[in-house]
Amino acid sequence: MNIKLADSWLREHLNSKASPQEIAKYLSLSGPSVESLKRVRVDWVYDIEVTTNRVDMVSVRGIAREAAAILPRFGIEASLAKIPFTPPQRGNMKMPIEIKNDRRLIGRIMAVAISNFENWETPEWMVKRLRLSGVRSLTLPVDITNYVMLETGHPTHIFDLDKLGKKLVVRESKKGEVFVGLDGRKYSLPQGAIVFEDGTGRITDLPGILGAKNSVLTKDSKNALFFIENTDPVRIRRTSMKLAIRTLAATMNEKGVDPRLAELAMIRGVEMFAKLAGGTVSSNMVDIYPAPKAIKTITLEHGFINERMGLKIPKLEINKILTALEFTVSWRGQKLSVTPPSFRAQDVEIPEDIVEEVARIWGYQNIPPKLMGGALPEIPHEKGEFALEGSIREKLVLLRGVEVYTQSLVGEKDSKSLELKNPLGADSKYLRTTLGPSLTAAANENLREKKFHLFEIANVYLRRRGRLPEEKMMLAGIFAGYNIREAKGVLATLGKHVAESIEQIDNYLFYEVPVGELKDILKPKLYAPIPKYPPQVEDITFKFASRPRAGEVLSSIANTKLVGEAELRYIYKKAYTFRIYYQHPDKTLTNSEVEKIRTGIINVVTGDFGGELA
Amino acid sequence: MDREITNLRNQAIAEINESKSLPSIAQIRIKYIGKKGSLGLITKRIWAAPERERKRLGILINETKAVILTALAERRVEFEKPQNDTDLTLPGTKHEVGHKHLITQTIEEVENIFRQIGFVRRRYFEVEWDWYAFEALGFGPDHPARDEWETYTIKQNVHPKLGGMLLTPHTSGGQVREMERARPPIRMLNISKTYRRQSDSTHTPMFHQFEGLVIDKGINISHLRGTLEYFAKSFFGHERETRIRPYNFPFTEPSFEVDVNCKRCRGKGCSVCKGGWHEVAGAGMVHPVVLANGGVDAKVYSGFAFGMGIERIAMMRAELGDLRQIYSVDLRYLRQF
Repeated sequence: MNIKLADSWLREHLNSKASPQEIAKYLSLSGPSVESLKRVRVDWVYDIEVTTNRVDMVSVRGIAREAAAILPRFGIEASLAKIPFTPPQRGNMKMPIEIKNDRRLIGRIMAVAISNFENWETPEWMVKRLRLSGVRSLTLPVDITNYVMLETGHPTHIFDLDKLGKKLVVRESKKGEVFVGLDGRKYSLPQGAIVFEDGTGRITDLPGILGAKNSVLTKDSKNALFFIENTDPVRIRRTSMKLAIRTLAATMNEKGVDPRLAELAMIRGVEMFAKLAGGTVSSNMVDIYPAPKAIKTITLEHGFINERMGLKIPKLEINKILTALEFTVSWRGQKLSVTPPSFRAQDVEIPEDIVEEVARIWGYQNIPPKLMGGALPEIPHEKGEFALEGSIREKLVLLRGVEVYTQSLVGEKDSKSLELKNPLGADSKYLRTTLGPSLTAAANENLREKKFHLFEIANVYLRRRGRLPEEKMMLAGIFAGYNIREAKGVLATLGKHVAESIEQIDNYLFYEVPVGELKDILKPKLYAPIPKYPPQVEDITFKFASRPRAGEVLSSIANTKLVGEAELRYIYKKAYTFRIYYQHPDKTLTNSEVEKIRTGIINVVTGDFGGELA
Repeated sequence: MDREITNLRNQAIAEINESKSLPSIAQIRIKYIGKKGSLGLITKRIWAAPERERKRLGILINETKAVILTALAERRVEFEKPQNDTDLTLPGTKHEVGHKHLITQTIEEVENIFRQIGFVRRRYFEVEWDWYAFEALGFGPDHPARDEWETYTIKQNVHPKLGGMLLTPHTSGGQVREMERARPPIRMLNISKTYRRQSDSTHTPMFHQFEGLVIDKGINISHLRGTLEYFAKSFFGHERETRIRPYNFPFTEPSFEVDVNCKRCRGKGCSVCKGGWHEVAGAGMVHPVVLANGGVDAKVYSGFAFGMGIERIAMMRAELGDLRQIYSVDLRYLRQF
């Protein structure tokens, strides 16, 4: 996810003379990626991509902390500004609402009543900062909750305390329950969303995602409830996705916000309500935190860091880097124990995570690129499938074939087709079992051309019971404007049976064969001695009364004993001229020997195929 | 008679050397070699010579004939040579040729680049079990990549151990498959079709990726950088630079994003790049959990992996802006590559 924040705001938390350009550049190299830096009047705005494991950086404070650790490695002084930590004053009233938590749904709740707001107008500087972060200003108290969220990294909320009823019960929603958001939209809830209700069944909030219309704080509200809840990220994600409510709070909460940040958010909020809105704390502070998670300490060897980085990094540097990121470090000999700060506890768990922290702050650019040595892997020789496909392509391209890539998801199906559960449309619902329809469509898109040959090598997918489908690599192609002799001539370079597989689709000639059947192409060639004696060559023309099977006639001639080679030379009306090469391996054939062979051929062509010597 | 034959030969060669055109060569041939030519006439007179001389004279005549024929042939070749006044600016005649697809060309080039440093090409499944595509790679049950609007799933019974059947959204599924096939040292290049449920100007539902996986003793970040730099310089040009930046993937730790500097602005930042750089790949050191799922001892071996889009690098180099154009079947596009 991305967070946008103003440079002026960042500077309240970061002491450094670094220019915005330097901050953007060095953060990108060693921390979160700054996707853009834009000037807005006197301020600058960073647009920063934060990876899902680092929700702690979806905050001004989090980014400042990173910058303070990163900039010194580039020779620029920087430190994280201290926040004056004044615990809020306790109010007189006992919390007037009974809060009943369900610890499976919410890990921590902090709440306090705030009363007597005097000012509802948000100061200009806050409106601007919120706007630069993409948040629209509403009323001052609501703006403060958003401001605190962006600053500290923990979402916060404010209710009209008097609209909540006597109780605030945390529970799971039932399927179909209706919730009306503060935007006035009605939502039908799925089973298992986290909701607050008032004890009578009335839902008063969809915590962590969106406030409810019936509990919203307005200018005529007397008492407010400032409320910070640390919700179960999985439920937040499911509900937010299902209802398509993608508020900033929801996108943060679904990533697992650190419950310990709630304190900081609470202090900042209370402070700002007092300072800017004149609101005073009117109740005791509620803090329900049944099971704080212990933070895991990770132990690893100094050598492990060196090995993974491919260089030696001094202990002192490791200390400096980890301490700047607020990790606690202790050494015993070569052994290192590291405890991450609470806001990093969920993404730093194994020694490799420590390597990452040290390596990125040390600077990936300072790790020299080097090719690995070592033994080479064993090469699987069994198939040679890639060489075969390459060879087929070479041959077809030499004969003017043009290769296409078409989509494997199609609208047609047969008995072997696999079907998608979630297709994008009806025309891409099945995995194809033949390339036919795709290639026909491709040919149809080129009707302005007179003559072409398109081909493709791609898998088809044939369903098998209880197993993955057979992914069968096919060669398929389509000829437009070719006659059958030309098309077969092209395919004969791949093998006779490819040529024979041609069928007619519309005005096209189409073929499709499994690539695996063409393995002979790769067979090493054997030398055949060049005949020592010249062949006798002659053309014989036959006429056929009915439709001749010219291919069969030719192979019959070619298979005649002492015929070295035969080809079909011309077709003129019903007359077919064959060229015959008479060849004896060991001698020159005499005229009378040729005569004998010729007679045999003529007898077969006239007798078996109905030809007549022309 | 010997002298007569020799004279004839010398005379013929002189005439051949002085001849000025192809027709005159033909005439010379008729004059000396033709049926009624001079050599023919002499041959007929062999019978008049003493018997013991006949054989020798015959050989001499044949030799003379051969010499004259050779001279004729050589002279003919000279006449057939291009003349100095050929118009060298004449345009060539056009020959139509076939075309391998841009994607194929890119795949073959990638394969060749990696083969030189010992990578073995593989092609793992397009239809894959959830285990290989997600679970074994450390994707949690609620990871966004598993959403039904991200990854295509197949209507098929769920396998008791391997989970649902899906169209693989990345070539990373080949990592565990390769570890199951071979023991380290591993240098795999898995190139295959991949699928995501998206269709717009920067996404097609079907696309191609290649995945590099190296596992051996002592593999570290500098090896990953070296391999990526070797590839980028081989593919994009030796003057191009690479860098890695922190990122996050479930199956690598640490994880990186890989950038190549922009050809146009050389890293300064311009309208076609992102601050001077192009993102080209995701990468990282193989997560110990993934090694374990592939049956590799993470205490002994370490590794790195990277994944890149074939279309992406092909488009960058061909300066082709719209991804959907890559899958056009229009011959006017196909013939450009």
